[in-house]
Amino acid sequence: MKTEIKRWALVSFFLLGMVVVSISCHKAVNDKKVIIGGKNFTEQYLLAEMGKNLMENNGFFVELKTGVGSSVIRQSLLKGQIDLYYEYTGTAYTVYYKQADPHMMTNRTRCYEWVKEADARKGLIWLESVPFNNSYTLMMREEDAERLGISSISDLSRYINKYPEKLLIGVNAEFWERPDGFKALMSHYGFTVPYNSIKKMESGLAYKALQEEYVSVSMGFETDGRIEAFGFINLKDDKSFFPVYNPAPVIRKKVLDKYPEIQKILEPIAEHLTTEEMRKLNAEVDIEKKQVEDVAANWLKRKNLL
Amino acid sequence: MNIITFIMDNAEKCWSLTLDHISIVAFSISLAAIIGIPTGVIISHDKRLAQKIINIANIFMTIPSIALFGLMLPLLAIAGYGLGKVPAVIALVLYSQLPIIRNTYVGISNIPPELVETARGLGMGRWVRLKEIEIPLAMPVIIAGLRNAAVMNIGIAAIAAYIGAGGLGVFIQQGIARAYEDMILAGALLVAVLAIFIDCGMAYLEKILTPKGIKIAGDQRP
Amino acid sequence: MNKALKYLYRLILIILLLAGAVFIDRTGLIEYLSDANEILYTAGLVWQHIKMVMVSMALATTIGLSVGILFTRPSLKRFSGVIMYIVGLGQAVPSLAVLAIAMSFLGIGFEAAVFALFIYSILPIARNTMAGIKSVPPWVIDAAKGMGMPGLQILLYVEIPNAMKVILTGFRVALVINIGTAALAFLIGAGGLGEHIFTGIDLMRPDKLLAGAIPTALLALLADYLCELLGFIIIPRGLRLTQEV
Repeated sequence: MKTEIKRWALVSFFLLGMVVVSISCHKAVNDKKVIIGGKNFTEQYLLAEMGKNLMENNGFFVELKTGVGSSVIRQSLLKGQIDLYYEYTGTAYTVYYKQADPHMMTNRTRCYEWVKEADARKGLIWLESVPFNNSYTLMMREEDAERLGISSISDLSRYINKYPEKLLIGVNAEFWERPDGFKALMSHYGFTVPYNSIKKMESGLAYKALQEEYVSVSMGFETDGRIEAFGFINLKDDKSFFPVYNPAPVIRKKVLDKYPEIQKILEPIAEHLTTEEMRKLNAEVDIEKKQVEDVAANWLKRKNLL
Repeated sequence: MNIITFIMDNAEKCWSLTLDHISIVAFSISLAAIIGIPTGVIISHDKRLAQKIINIANIFMTIPSIALFGLMLPLLAIAGYGLGKVPAVIALVLYSQLPIIRNTYVGISNIPPELVETARGLGMGRWVRLKEIEIPLAMPVIIAGLRNAAVMNIGIAAIAAYIGAGGLGVFIQQGIARAYEDMILAGALLVAVLAIFIDCGMAYLEKILTPKGIKIAGDQRP
Repeated sequence: MNKALKYLYRLILIILLLAGAVFIDRTGLIEYLSDANEILYTAGLVWQHIKMVMVSMALATTIGLSVGILFTRPSLKRFSGVIMYIVGLGQAVPSLAVLAIAMSFLGIGFEAAVFALFIYSILPIARNTMAGIKSVPPWVIDAAKGMGMPGLQILLYVEIPNAMKVILTGFRVALVINIGTAALAFLIGAGGLGEHIFTGIDLMRPDKLLAGAIPTALLALLADYLCELLGFIIIPRGLRLTQEV
């Protein structure tokens, strides 16, 4: 009889233990909790961490939900699954609102004001925007670009129209499909790359692919620290296809009404984060392999913001 | 190849991701057991029904894990649970049904019918028979099924990082994106260690939960 | 009572199927696939996927079988326990990690993916080969020896056929896992149906996601079924009948 009791005690204890473990890992402090979202590239992870650090410093409990694509994070915000994330003006303008007016989208202020007004109607508030422009770019290895005499996207389009099969292009799924992405870029510049020459991959992999000569042209981000370090150059967008991409925290109105202080808390990032700074921080993560949390926290400390 | 340095430098992150990972797996195994074991018991008396149910569970397990995770997303997006731990747990629960149901079924239906007859003869009702005879006798096989499912889940949960579920898969995901080998290796190592740890732990559980009588007579069972 | 239950069961099944069809249509999958370009592209991905699976399975089967057979030979038998344990440990590493590690050594693309899939598929095959051969009843081998069969003949005509059911199960498990893991190969730049799946997740497009997930699932189910058929062909009838009893 004794062993029987011992057995059942063990089983119940085990099951109970599992339930306790799973619940305790989900403990949520309910007051002053904010969920910050982020996309799946280094800069976004950094911005989310900075936001988290600043808010935690002001007594908030922050949960991060990062590492997903633009459409996903935007949906999450609209549905209230997250409370705020850093979105880029150009992205909102061209992708979510499907606008294409070059007068609007190539000017920092006009673009910002446009999306701010549009989103306000959806209950989303755009806080102060950060000065740098993280545009999509097309990159090539420096030697290749020199050898083929390509320094702008127009040069590239001429080359590809002459020799369509010669270059492999690396893009990620998002960049391929977006209205400010590769498909639209091809039609804007008047060239077509055959389906077989397009290699789709995750954006992080694209840099490696270009480095390893797996592709000859790759998509990139303007403020990425790896461009210079890996010996890549950005092709000039001479026909002004890409809009301006200034990041700004976009927050749900309900959350901002509840905690209006968030606006002040996040302002310092907008004041201090220049293009150069962002590039350096990106490089610290991508090249020096430092941890995102450390890089974000150290930068804030250096600027005396923590 | 400084995996150890990486782990030491990022001990906090490693620990929190590991806890995350464990919580997903623990939750899904508990749920899967709550659903699967009773199902296994119920079908143990109807061979044809058992065949059907086990076939369905087999289909879930044959579907590649990422496909199952992927299928969860549009389904759950309707309910507003697009990404995160919820679709991951649901997919894992479905995935674990086969080993759990099948083992419960095999465990109970392999009990020598004479024992069941004897119990009936002694006047034991359905419930009592289950509690005193059938489940204890089938226990080692059931636990073996749980163990199998747990180890499988630990590996598959690593993929769930791609649908925003967190866990140690995040190291692998970010490591690939940032070409950061030590991170990938650290993630892989931690998952492997976790799997081995749980495997041994449950093997021990299997041992202590086997009724003593069976252990003695163990070698004589068909 | 039973009849009512059966009827209910069928009704529920039909409702589920209809709901599934409506759901799939609402995600836009049907429209997506009605574009001829997309079907061709998807077919291309399916071919990439199958290529990876076939090459890695061919390698895994040859080497897995050899390792399995090797370690059941009298000279090396004592190592079989250790080998089985190490091989078992290997499966604890998540498939994603194996792919990522292969990529860091072999670079992006097809070769790394095939290598990773090969490593991942060897395990079930080798383990089942060993287990299968070990489980051949010793008296059968004795009988063969008594009939004067040399070692090689015993292996080919007695041990392997008797172990075939278990070996085939190992092959089948390896194949299904392989197809599933190949869907992850997209993450290391090797293409395959994973492209649609991850694109669908990234862009929140259920149609793309299903366009990737459904063919992958179907491939796996088809492979599983084909292996069952293979069992009928390969396993000698005498064994199949006795094992079914």
